[in-house]
Amino acid sequence: MELWTSLPVIVRILLGIVAILLPLLGLVAYYTLAERKIIGYIQVRIGPNRVGFRGLLQPIADAVKLMFKEIVIPTRADKGLFLLAPMIAIAPALAAWAVIPFDAGLVLSDINAGLLYILALTSLGVYGIIIAGWASNSKYALLGAMRSAAQIVSYEIAMGFALVGVLVAAGSLNLGAIVGAQSGSALTWFWLPLLPLFGVYLVSGVAETNRAPFDVAEGESEIVAGFHVEYSGMAFAVFFLAEYANMILIATLTALLFFGGWLSPFPQAWVDGVFLLDDGFHWLLVKVFFFMFVFLWLRATFPRYRYDQIMRLGWKVFIPITIAWILVVGLAVVYKLPPWWAV
Amino acid sequence: MGFEKFLFYCFAAITVVAAGMVVTRRNPVHAVLYLVLAFVSSAVLWLLIEAEFLGIVLVLVYVGAVMVLFLFVVMMLDVDLAALRAGFVRFLPIGGLVAAAMAVQIFLVVGPANFGLEAFPKPPAAPAEYSNTEALGLALYTEHLYPFEIAAVILLVAIVAAIRLTLRRRPDTKYIDPSAQVQVKKGPDRVRLVKMPAEGKVETP
Amino acid sequence: MLDNYLPVLIFILIGILVGVGPLVLGYFLGPRRPDREKDSPYECGFEAFESARMKFDVRYYLVAILFIIFDLEIAFLFPWAVALEGLGMVGFVAMTLFLGILVVGFIYEWRKGALEWE
Repeated sequence: MELWTSLPVIVRILLGIVAILLPLLGLVAYYTLAERKIIGYIQVRIGPNRVGFRGLLQPIADAVKLMFKEIVIPTRADKGLFLLAPMIAIAPALAAWAVIPFDAGLVLSDINAGLLYILALTSLGVYGIIIAGWASNSKYALLGAMRSAAQIVSYEIAMGFALVGVLVAAGSLNLGAIVGAQSGSALTWFWLPLLPLFGVYLVSGVAETNRAPFDVAEGESEIVAGFHVEYSGMAFAVFFLAEYANMILIATLTALLFFGGWLSPFPQAWVDGVFLLDDGFHWLLVKVFFFMFVFLWLRATFPRYRYDQIMRLGWKVFIPITIAWILVVGLAVVYKLPPWWAV
Repeated sequence: MGFEKFLFYCFAAITVVAAGMVVTRRNPVHAVLYLVLAFVSSAVLWLLIEAEFLGIVLVLVYVGAVMVLFLFVVMMLDVDLAALRAGFVRFLPIGGLVAAAMAVQIFLVVGPANFGLEAFPKPPAAPAEYSNTEALGLALYTEHLYPFEIAAVILLVAIVAAIRLTLRRRPDTKYIDPSAQVQVKKGPDRVRLVKMPAEGKVETP
Repeated sequence: MLDNYLPVLIFILIGILVGVGPLVLGYFLGPRRPDREKDSPYECGFEAFESARMKFDVRYYLVAILFIIFDLEIAFLFPWAVALEGLGMVGFVAMTLFLGILVVGFIYEWRKGALEWE
């Protein structure tokens, strides 16, 4: 600890970023394997099992393969923007992790406007998609980008409103404080008083990341692969990385905002100091893995929505629900409704 | 102080260069993307003067929403550059007049009298736990309640105007109403069984 | 406050680098053998016809405009939500009025069919 505080600030920050990014990128790599394996088992297949023991080296093989592939740039594409798009897609997906707390006090940058910062960064994700679609000079890419952009934009409103509900409940924009406001037991976590908002947030998160059943942007049966149809090799890999990093981010945020983050589900009095049952990073990990699994589960279970159905759900169902529930929660906070907002 | 000043000059330079690119780029999509860059770096400048909430909301609203609309428009409208440039000389006097008027207005607002460290001393660095957003909320919804409700009316007008201007129904396209679709009940709504008498033996030629 | 934003700034720069790195890697490791067919935009096997940058239905612009308006609403809701405990009932009524006015707009959208995707 003394060694840590003696290091210059910049070195500490860089070490912190590396300590977040490396496990995150590893998790992304193995999330792709988990996806293929889990969906395989759900569909009574065994998934990849050739590379390494039970296919455990598959993500590495995939990465190496993509590395040695040509980055094809289509003729008449806007070359600069074509290469800029994947960078714009990945930078916000990673930078959002700067304000994510992993345990009480364990956060890289403890800013007061944490949630606002995350909402602002997620709203930048749409640029990578629009620019990729337009720069490719391909009809399918442009169609996919437009669909994707309109969908992301629509669900961002529902997501924003759901986040406002969390804010009303917690009274703070700081993610650590939001988790702190949920302390107690599994029954005082926000999923219970904010149940409709939790549902809206999770579904909007799936739609926001363009995942099945909301993946009309990719819609391989109609527009091949959507906005990244012209991308190959590492340029494609970066988009892929961004998509999975975003999924993990949404899973983490769901765990932090609605499921008490690193808090133990049992009342504090029962588990105080008990090994593994007390609050800690491992609880966050368990919750995040669960929501990451939900993403795959949804993909394996539901058929793709139609585009008009997606837009209807976002505008006509989610927005009225969230507006009404924000006011309900507001009243509960003003009147200090126990057990969540007792004096 | 040194590092903050360095950051200020970096991002101020980026803002100015990006703003210059916005008006000089031929390709409207590039111009819009430079405008995005200008907004992002001005957001950093706002953060540097401790305006935390406003800085991030600038990114959220302008970059995340307004510029997306701009991009939609310039990407999809096929702006005819030759036609635009043809009118350049003809409209130059009017444009110059408008620009001069704006320059005078800006000068009156942020002229030397109202500018500089004497008029605007640097705000004291806020303590780490000070919440800019909360302070804003406490002021906005009590002291400035009336303008806040006016803002709602302006947004309402914007909604109505946007719909009146752009909504265009297409009676010729056939489409499915998902609201009606999800209300379909099991049974008579979904399938209609028709009882038909069996046909007699058909003679095949 | 600014001290807390330094890691954010560095993280954003590193995030961009993580995007640049693989591209550079792919550029050096991968082959570069362009040919006319390979570099032509994908069109299900046809020769590409017409410009790919086509005009889009005005409906997309309407979605974007409505998005801006609702995004502004969210921006107004953020400070309210944080300060609600200090504002009490006055703040709650103020926001109910604000949202009420905007719900009128929302109902107008709905009745006009602006939320319909044909």
